[in-house]
Amino acid sequence: MNAALNIELAPLAFSARGLNKRFDRLQVLSDISLDVAQGEIVAVLGTSGCGKSTLLNILSGLLPTDHGSLSIEGVPAERFHDWQAIAYMFQEDRLLPWRSVQENIAFGLEASSLGKSRRAQRVAQVLELVGLVPFAKAWPHQLSGGMRSRVALARSLVVEPRILLMDEPFSKLDPSTRGQMHDELLRLHALTGMTVVFVTHDVEEAVVLADRVVILDPRPGRVRAVKSLTLPRPRIPTDPAVTEHVRQLRLEV
Amino acid sequence: MGQAKHYSSLVLQRLALLAVVAVVWWYAAGRMPSFVLPGPQKVFAALTSLLHSETFLHDVGATMGRVFSGFFLAVLVGTPLGLALGTSRMLALFFEPLLAVFNTVSSAIWAIFAIIWFGISDATTVFVVFMTAMPLILTNVWQGAQTVERQYVELAQSFRMSRLQILLKISLPSILPHFFAGARLAFGFGWRVSLVAETLGASDGIGYRLRQAADLVQSDQVFAWTVLLVALMLLLEAGVLKPLERWLFRWKTHSL
Repeated sequence: MNAALNIELAPLAFSARGLNKRFDRLQVLSDISLDVAQGEIVAVLGTSGCGKSTLLNILSGLLPTDHGSLSIEGVPAERFHDWQAIAYMFQEDRLLPWRSVQENIAFGLEASSLGKSRRAQRVAQVLELVGLVPFAKAWPHQLSGGMRSRVALARSLVVEPRILLMDEPFSKLDPSTRGQMHDELLRLHALTGMTVVFVTHDVEEAVVLADRVVILDPRPGRVRAVKSLTLPRPRIPTDPAVTEHVRQLRLEV
Repeated sequence: MGQAKHYSSLVLQRLALLAVVAVVWWYAAGRMPSFVLPGPQKVFAALTSLLHSETFLHDVGATMGRVFSGFFLAVLVGTPLGLALGTSRMLALFFEPLLAVFNTVSSAIWAIFAIIWFGISDATTVFVVFMTAMPLILTNVWQGAQTVERQYVELAQSFRMSRLQILLKISLPSILPHFFAGARLAFGFGWRVSLVAETLGASDGIGYRLRQAADLVQSDQVFAWTVLLVALMLLLEAGVLKPLERWLFRWKTHSL
């Protein structure tokens, strides 16, 4: 709870108190309380089946909580309207096979009220940002897993979100590509200052990326511990300080 | 280079096949009375006189008009019904037996009903084409609607898209390949049954001319119409359907 005290002065991206969720008779989340400061990177770490994805769905507003309260950027979730400010990245890239790379990215903007030329401009900017310009007209089936993941990231970023939620977005990639995507994410985070909350079962991923790690207990999911990571960046996975943190954290999960 | 070679060998094969058919036809026709099997020259002569006859364009136009009317009505009715059945399991379970009935009733029966209801008129043929094509389109759209990926719908929901946007941007593109396959099948069937309907319930059009020729034992005329129909369908396939399919589903091919 010390960490919560330290960030109390900064405006909060999320403030959750006593979130509970049950599906039929199965209690999935139990009494989750969590504060996330704006601009922070928070990893939610836990084994599979601990309710990580459910928590993320509640934060994104796609799933209502049974009881407990959630406020987003200081506004109670029931009265929060600026959902376009929250982007959600799924575990799979979910690229639409019938749309080219740039059309897939543009998909992110098609529910927004932006004009046509503004949208095209944004798509062009994001293509540039993630280094996909030469592949703008390619079809998804022509891309490697890493490239597809990049397109999915670009589709999330094109709405210029203040908050990015990610559900194990890089878990399907091979280790070296995953490392590249981590660098990419950190670079974009530094550039935009957005808040990132991501779910993972990969301890190393949590240590490399996060400012804070929230460890969930399974069945029902409840917060076991919250750890602040003060390691200097960039954090290289092979760096002894990083591996030591990973080792210690593994003991707790 | 390799592709050009492959293509030219294909053309050669087709020409050879055509020559074989022509020779067999010519040989067989020589040993039979011409009202049973008219020879190639006779059919060719019939074909040229047919092309120059006054009613030719009118007949082709009449048949085409009926086929397209029936087909478009089938698309107009079959697509939303298929979508409705695809989205609601309750509706699907309720209406499924009806669809089975539609699929088993022969086109000839529809034609007979059509004559009872509409008499000798355009509506008769349009109705038969519609009754044949509509269940095919409905079934394919229905099947397509069941293949719409939940994951893509969730993606659209995460961007806060409306139900209409999800329908237009996720469901319809997912269904399109199924719709296209169904429409193609429906058009082919519709086209064929239209001739049957016209032999029974029309006073012009290709089907009517075919029956007229048969009544007068003008076998060369029947053959000429057949050749013409085959040519029309091949033209439609190569000139419209194939290019359209290639363009619609360009995201599936491995070019670039």
